[in-house]
Amino acid sequence: MSQEKIEEFKEVDDKQQGRREFLKNVCASSVAALVAAPASANPAVDTSNPDADVTVAEFFQGHFILMSDEEKKQAIARLEKRYTAQYKKKTTVSDVEAPDGVLFGYALDIGKCIGCRRCVHACVKENNQSRHDPEVQWIQVMKMPKGNISFTADQLDKGYPERSEFGDYGVQVGGNAYKTAGFSTEDAQNYYTDNVVPEKDFFYMPVQCQQCEKPPCVKACPVRATFRDHAGVVLIDYNWCIGCRMCQLACPYQARHFNWGEPNLPAEEMNPQTHYFGNRPRMRGVMEKCTFCVQRTREGRDPACLEACPVGARKFGNLLDPESDVRKVLATKRVFRFKEEFGTYPKFFYYIG
Amino acid sequence: MKEENSRRLFFKKAAAAVGVVAAAGYTTNLISRSSASTNNASAKYAADLAAQEKAMMGNQLVLMTDDEKKQRIDKLLNCHYQAIA
Repeated sequence: MSQEKIEEFKEVDDKQQGRREFLKNVCASSVAALVAAPASANPAVDTSNPDADVTVAEFFQGHFILMSDEEKKQAIARLEKRYTAQYKKKTTVSDVEAPDGVLFGYALDIGKCIGCRRCVHACVKENNQSRHDPEVQWIQVMKMPKGNISFTADQLDKGYPERSEFGDYGVQVGGNAYKTAGFSTEDAQNYYTDNVVPEKDFFYMPVQCQQCEKPPCVKACPVRATFRDHAGVVLIDYNWCIGCRMCQLACPYQARHFNWGEPNLPAEEMNPQTHYFGNRPRMRGVMEKCTFCVQRTREGRDPACLEACPVGARKFGNLLDPESDVRKVLATKRVFRFKEEFGTYPKFFYYIG
Repeated sequence: MKEENSRRLFFKKAAAAVGVVAAAGYTTNLISRSSASTNNASAKYAADLAAQEKAMMGNQLVLMTDDEKKQRIDKLLNCHYQAIA
């Protein structure tokens, strides 16, 4: 081989070496960047900016239910750190699981409710809802004229259920069977501003998430961000929610609320005892709703609305336990079905004592 | 030289003026866009509340018979135990 040829080969080889080196460097720096990004977002890394954790780590976070224990710990630590810095108070984010052998149910006595809205305000306070522009309320209290009630008590026990060829659906014959035995929400006012309640000739009916046993919102969610836990409570993973609002459209009770803007939660009013699926502060673009105060009920406490009710109109308990308040209400009181036609089997019951 | 200077000065002033106008326009645009989005959000919250009010109107709450209540409880418990299984 001539010297000239050898030189030419060397030159080509050098060029290839250079290109290889360049590609190697590019690959190495890409790998380094990929490794460094999550590492920089690791909660163990001290950063003065609490939002810095959110940008990468929370963005790449998976569905909480599907996370490993270690990932869950990291996600919780990240949130606690961010909320503590943001609201300037020690904030805890619990991930206590639902107790076994429990199916939560709720019953509300519309005969007792006086429409004071203490439950609404207790809910707002407990669950870290947006306080202004607008104040997001998970409970709506409807005020209705007593004329809407259209059954007579003396006829109640005179009917009897009849079997049909399609099966025993408990269809009543006699008594109130040939007129609507119940009441209608016609002419209801959601935003009454009375200074004194209850107003004469009116009754009140608070409405919130009915915690359906067959929840249409869960079926509608394209990413399964909303789901029903084994205690029967429908929850939302706010970090997994994509804000498509399909669940809101699917809900027959319109019990879901979308955060169109960044929620306004003043630091001094923030409740620092939170749950991952419950009352932790939400962000813009996600759905929220009543969770039966999951942060309380999973620890054996009553929901805030029940505690706030001054007339004892609210009952909460385990539907699997025949001795629970809710089961006793179902067994002994006059209970109403509400939007039964949707076949969602709500676990929230309205009754008259 | 003076002529060149004055021409350069003129271009400088013209460029500065264009810059100022552009910056002002951009700022106005930003401000109006942010206030519009706030109004938009308020309107959307109001629309949600109106939809909720509409969904709650004109419903019948019908009294359940004892059989219906029993069926309801049975159904709830069946669903629950099936889900657990």
